[in-house]
Amino acid sequence: MTAQGQPLYEARQISKSYGSVAALIDVSFALYPGEVVGLVGDNGAGKSTLVKVLSGVHAPDSGELFLDGVRRHWKSPHEAIQAGVETLYQDAGLAPHLTIGSNVFLGREKLRPGLLGRLGFLAQQEMEREALADLERVGIAVPPSNRTVSELSGGQRQAVAIGRAVSWARKVILLDEPTNHLGARQSVEVLSVIKAARDKGLGVVFISHTLPHVLEVTNRIVVLRLGRVVRDAPTAEFDAESLLGTITGLIDGA
Amino acid sequence: MGHRLTTSRLGRRSVAVLAVASVGVLAACSSSSSGSSTSSSTSPSAKGSSGKITIAFNMGAEADPFFIAMNVGAAAEAKKLGVNLIWQGDPSVYSPATQIPIADQLLAEHPSALVIAPTDPAALQPVVNQALAQGIPVVNVDTHVNDISKVLSFITGNNQQGGAVAADAMAKAMHYQSGHSYQVVVGMSSPTTTTNVARLAGFKAEIAKKYPGIKIMSVAYSESVAATANANVNNWLTKYPNLKGIFAIDGTNATGAAAALQAHGLVGKIALVGYDAYATNVALLQQHVFAALIAQQPTLEGQMAIADIVKYLRSGKSKAGIQHLVTLPNIVLTPSTPASVLAKYTYPTA
Amino acid sequence: MSSVTDKPAKPASTAVAASPGRLRSLLTNQQFLLLVALAALVAYFTSRDSVFISSGEVATMLATFSELILMAVGETYVIITGGIDLSVGATAGFAGVVAAFAMRDLLAGHSPEALVLTVGTVICAAVGVGIGLVNAILMNWARLVPFVATLITLGAATGMSLVLTGGAPIGADAAAINLAAARIGPLPYLALIVLVIVAVCWVYLHLSRYGRYTFAIGSNAFAARAAGINVRRHTTSVYVLSGLLAGLTGMVFYMQLGSGAPSSGNGAELPAIAAVVIGGVSLFGGMGRLTGTILGALILTVVQSGLIIANVSPNYSQVAIAICIAIAASLQALRPQNRSQT
Ligand SMILES: Nc1ncnc2c1ncn2[C@@H]1O[C@H](COP(=O)(O)OP(=O)(O)OP(=O)(O)O)[C@@H](O)[C@H]1O
Ligand SMILES: [Mg+2]
Repeated sequence: MTAQGQPLYEARQISKSYGSVAALIDVSFALYPGEVVGLVGDNGAGKSTLVKVLSGVHAPDSGELFLDGVRRHWKSPHEAIQAGVETLYQDAGLAPHLTIGSNVFLGREKLRPGLLGRLGFLAQQEMEREALADLERVGIAVPPSNRTVSELSGGQRQAVAIGRAVSWARKVILLDEPTNHLGARQSVEVLSVIKAARDKGLGVVFISHTLPHVLEVTNRIVVLRLGRVVRDAPTAEFDAESLLGTITGLIDGA
Repeated sequence: MGHRLTTSRLGRRSVAVLAVASVGVLAACSSSSSGSSTSSSTSPSAKGSSGKITIAFNMGAEADPFFIAMNVGAAAEAKKLGVNLIWQGDPSVYSPATQIPIADQLLAEHPSALVIAPTDPAALQPVVNQALAQGIPVVNVDTHVNDISKVLSFITGNNQQGGAVAADAMAKAMHYQSGHSYQVVVGMSSPTTTTNVARLAGFKAEIAKKYPGIKIMSVAYSESVAATANANVNNWLTKYPNLKGIFAIDGTNATGAAAALQAHGLVGKIALVGYDAYATNVALLQQHVFAALIAQQPTLEGQMAIADIVKYLRSGKSKAGIQHLVTLPNIVLTPSTPASVLAKYTYPTA
Repeated sequence: MSSVTDKPAKPASTAVAASPGRLRSLLTNQQFLLLVALAALVAYFTSRDSVFISSGEVATMLATFSELILMAVGETYVIITGGIDLSVGATAGFAGVVAAFAMRDLLAGHSPEALVLTVGTVICAAVGVGIGLVNAILMNWARLVPFVATLITLGAATGMSLVLTGGAPIGADAAAINLAAARIGPLPYLALIVLVIVAVCWVYLHLSRYGRYTFAIGSNAFAARAAGINVRRHTTSVYVLSGLLAGLTGMVFYMQLGSGAPSSGNGAELPAIAAVVIGGVSLFGGMGRLTGTILGALILTVVQSGLIIANVSPNYSQVAIAICIAIAASLQALRPQNRSQT
């Protein structure tokens, strides 16, 4: 699939350091509607940092972000969410003590109708029910009920987090290692969730160390090494070996 | 998440938090001490012996109404005699740990004399010894160090006698008659507060001697918190429906007990004898909430300490006419005490 | 929000293990055990002296409870966010003292008691809110951890109370004492007002979005922020709430003592925190029920009064409270599984 027209989400010359550690250096990349971009690189390459810049958790030290061609300065993740950017974080994106439904609706709680709602009271049953339906709709099987996330297995938690991101996303989904903790069958499920989102016209950023998954589901692959983009090319130009070589630096980025 | 692990750690941590919190309270209080110390008159260089006399006055907790009243007496006398007074103690903590550094700092300024109310007889002895070694005469007020042989004078109130007159005042208010029995209770701050202990001893001795019908049913501690003192008395009032008397052994207990009697509508029915003539307590005495109030004489103690020192310094360091041990009686105030006398003994507030 | 405890679970939606009885389903395990412990304590003290359950004594205990529970409720919110507020006692004392000065002046001018107490309440609330804001500023802008930030305000408020009052109580307001003592049966009106406030706080903690954010932040602050919650603003409001409730406690002290006593809040943060810990609220945040805190505060109150009613030596009072905390903490450790608490 060739990218054309205006990018859905674009980063230009983004740099970001943590103290003396330069995690991102002049990173540029673009994501088009209906496209899955794979973001790969060794541990510490800067993938999660890029996601956090794109999702509004970190402000970049320099560089620009454009959503639908409009320059954006996220002051908080809240603003990015409002603008239609959903994120699955690699590290703990869920509140373990809250129920599945509460997590899916976190920050977007449904309130009761009428006065009670205006006083801030939650429509908890409705949320639990809808959360379950949402998760089922995106094709993720999680144990039913209002269990807390801490009572789920690692894979089940991951499933909830993915389901939450996918069910809320309106424009962009950033998935930082979504297949972590997942068994083979669930990984395949996740890949089909990604494809479904893509087919709906969303832009998806997919981070994974499982290269066959990346090759299977993405349209384009961006390779990061030590905070820099070393290769940004259509997936068709890679095979398993050349992708691995580019990541490790045995093959120079083109 | 390993709940067993985390929750058992929680148990330990909670205890630690409580422990550290209480230590922190002390730390916070003491660390704020040096900042807010007051000095009644400026006295930068006390060194020149030919210059004006400068007296350093050091006590436990400056904000205690007792010491505030003492400050009033000392400052008035200092002004009258034309000497400088440096008044310094921890704002709120009554402890040798906070008193010693403040006393050391005062000595470093080489005052002409040191008046000190030691918070601990042993812990403050070295400070007194050092002062004497520097040729600085020392007076003890209210409390004393272990060895007072070289101290110029020791001026104090008599807490044991105060406890005894409290028993007399209570017996009188209850219209004590031998052959009858009277239930009373005692509210203290803690089992170790020395003044409390002396007052209770005097109270008990007097009862044993003169009022065999009076029975102390219970003693409880307020930890120096008025609300706790109040709760204690409220509980007693249900526990002992025939209660005849309450001895509220210090200012905090007096406040709590007075409120409890008022809340239960028992004013005048139970003989409440309180301690310390705070302005609020004196007002409640006049409303008969207290049957009697035992007053110390902090203003006089402060005044006499300054007078002794100045006399000694101005007479070429002669001890003639200076009494080594002065014990001021505690005073009994009752609703019938004339207003002018009440005013005299009410602790002034600077 | 849990689920099992607050809502009749939709029969179709879930096959949870067999419903374990109505009472048990209303209370989590820990709270059930606390209730048993409370009942045992009441039974013991009553057996020592039946006056323990007389309406007069119950009123006395409710008065003591009123002095403790508001601070404990604020502390519960704070601890659920994963923080701690050491300043509640000092705030109560300071607020009571500041308000007492104003009320004394108003009374001297023969203002009606209702006006005096209203003004006093407003001042107490304002002082509490102010100290809560200072706590939040120290944490959010000076980047101090809650323990240190609130330790600083504890010291400052304690010191200011003493400096302002010279250590002596301010005012002698017999009318306030009488109002505080007025009651229907065993229930003082003052305690009734306090209980209404507690109920509102319960409902907001467990049924509202505000409470949900409070739990979310304590459970995983990053997740909360990533989900779009303004963590700083919410945390600020929680410390302000804690300050407000502590300030109102200052008014409770004033009403019961008829004066603003600088000592009234000394060390009061310890029983407040103890009530929360006994109630099973996790000091790590994210977990707990206000019902637990209420039971914890009741247990502390019952022990304090009970020791006097049973005429046990007061030296055992501290020990008894320490034992309560130890038992409660072990209960948590022994609990087979921490059910959803939010
Ligand atoms: N919060 C932080 N503070 C300081 N340094 C950080 C922080 N987060 C990441 N880094 C550093 O920034 C660099 C990039 O980290 P990042 O998490 O973005 O890598 P990554 O590509 O996602 O790695 P992985 O595949 O292991 O998830 C690393 O050197 C890391 O140590
Ligand atoms: Mg990463």
